Amino acid sequence: MTPQERREGGPSLHELQALLQAAILNGDDKILSFVSGNSRTDAATLFSVYRNAYRGRLLEILANDFPLCRRFVGDDEFERIALDFINAHPSRTQNARWFGAGFPEYAARMATIEASAVSELAAIEKALADAFDSGDGTVIGLDELVQIPPEDWSRLTFKPHVTSAELIVRTNAFDIWLALKDDAEPPEARRLPEDGRLLIWRQGNRPMIRPMPYEEAMIWVESAKGVPFSGLCELMATFDDPENAALRAAGYLQGWLVSGVLGSVSVQQSRPAAARGMGVP
Amino acid sequence: MPAVMTRADAAPQWRGQSGHDAKPKYLGFGLGLRPQHYTDILDSAPAVDWFEVISENYMVDGGQPLQMLDRIRARYPIVMHGVSLSIASTTPFDERYLADLKALAERTEPEFISDHLCWTGVHGINLHDLLPIPYTREALDHVVSRVHHVQQYLQRPIALENVSTYVQFPHSEMTEWDFITELTKRTGCWLVFDVNNVFVSAFNHDWDAQAFIDGIPADRVVQFHLAGHEHNMTHIIDTHDALVPEEVWGLYRSAVKRFGPVSTIIERDDNIPPLHEMVEELSVARSIAQDMLPELRMP
Repeated sequence: MTPQERREGGPSLHELQALLQAAILNGDDKILSFVSGNSRTDAATLFSVYRNAYRGRLLEILANDFPLCRRFVGDDEFERIALDFINAHPSRTQNARWFGAGFPEYAARMATIEASAVSELAAIEKALADAFDSGDGTVIGLDELVQIPPEDWSRLTFKPHVTSAELIVRTNAFDIWLALKDDAEPPEARRLPEDGRLLIWRQGNRPMIRPMPYEEAMIWVESAKGVPFSGLCELMATFDDPENAALRAAGYLQGWLVSGVLGSVSVQQSRPAAARGMGVP
Repeated sequence: MPAVMTRADAAPQWRGQSGHDAKPKYLGFGLGLRPQHYTDILDSAPAVDWFEVISENYMVDGGQPLQMLDRIRARYPIVMHGVSLSIASTTPFDERYLADLKALAERTEPEFISDHLCWTGVHGINLHDLLPIPYTREALDHVVSRVHHVQQYLQRPIALENVSTYVQFPHSEMTEWDFITELTKRTGCWLVFDVNNVFVSAFNHDWDAQAFIDGIPADRVVQFHLAGHEHNMTHIIDTHDALVPEEVWGLYRSAVKRFGPVSTIIERDDNIPPLHEMVEELSVARSIAQDMLPELRMP
């Protein structure tokens, strides 16, 4: 551009940025009055690079974050859902890593059982991605537990590992996820007879996921609230087969310790309920 | 004569007490660190002098990304290169973002921290793109104040990169290189000179890439970026997804001639090939620089 071609009196920087953003988000063409083309093409053609790049980039982010979801519904349907999401929810995060955080919930808006499964499949992918790079925290195993005197075990309380999360699913999204992960044909989406519960966490550097039986999920949730081991056993006894309740609870606890899903253990003081500091640093 | 009033005296350059004030040292020839290459880098010790990391990829709480960064940092110099600072935005800074950036810098101890001379969104929205600014006095004053803020916060001068642009603003009052020159004078910031981006913008706006090279202050350039693009005949789109084309190598030669030894990387953001192919392409940059600068000694 030569000095002779420069125009006086354009919009302020703030006005210009608002116009340019609106042009990308909403297709508003006012910005075209304030930009120039080159000797080979016009301003509208050149500006379309920004418009196309915006949606293309966000689509790519969602496709990368939810690859199994995309494979389940197919490229065209995924693009349709993703573009709806992009248009309805412009990114408000500085880090593209979090742009898709609301995608599972958004996908659930469609009322079909397939949509519910897609939403839950996306939620599984998001939860695994979150486990992948969330905080490191401490992990306790059997070795830490055996250091605690047996007479204190009834008063043990546990904190889940910082990467752990529970996901409730109403569809067979986990079976779909399993099949897609193994490049197998996924089952058709269907509603489960009763809600399923999934446990997600990171073991070393590897995100993990597994379904939890209802009974285990029940005491997992209560344990996370600080209920001591004796309380968990009582809960199990009221749920089923009181005679073997403690044994079953111990079995679940052993599974948690072996798989590295617990972050710390403490011995609850009898009264008040403050925990004595026996967490593993 | 540049169509701009010099105000270097009115706004002092960065003069911190943090030990990060000296010009970053010459690092040789590096690559943009990509997760696809983690294992190869750690297993094969490739002929790469240093790595540039995308800051946002490591602004997470834990897990494999930070572990890999720590392991690679233990073996190689690292430069942090962000994409979301949005230095030219008229929306106030996201303080959480700045805090996370500073925390990552304290953990990683990079040779320097860079981002782009652009904005990425306003009104709380992030378009995740590197958007163009008008080269006006108003925009210059605004960016200068924002660079001061960031440098004060990080306690070190930052480096800013020229971006590829597709439109110009007729109410601009100066060239891009005059704008950049004034910015460096008034803030003491460094420059990442993206050779490909200069080539792309020069073609898209019918200006001479050599004028850009000649127009910016040589002593502020601390890094070269090399990359590929997509030529659409009427315009070029900066894709960073292909081999460095011959015309960009040509411009790189001109840049080496003007700026001398400058830390250089090849930056690939898509269609990422195996590490050995990137290292092979990097050897082209190395040999060009060594041919042109016989006195050049690798760090």
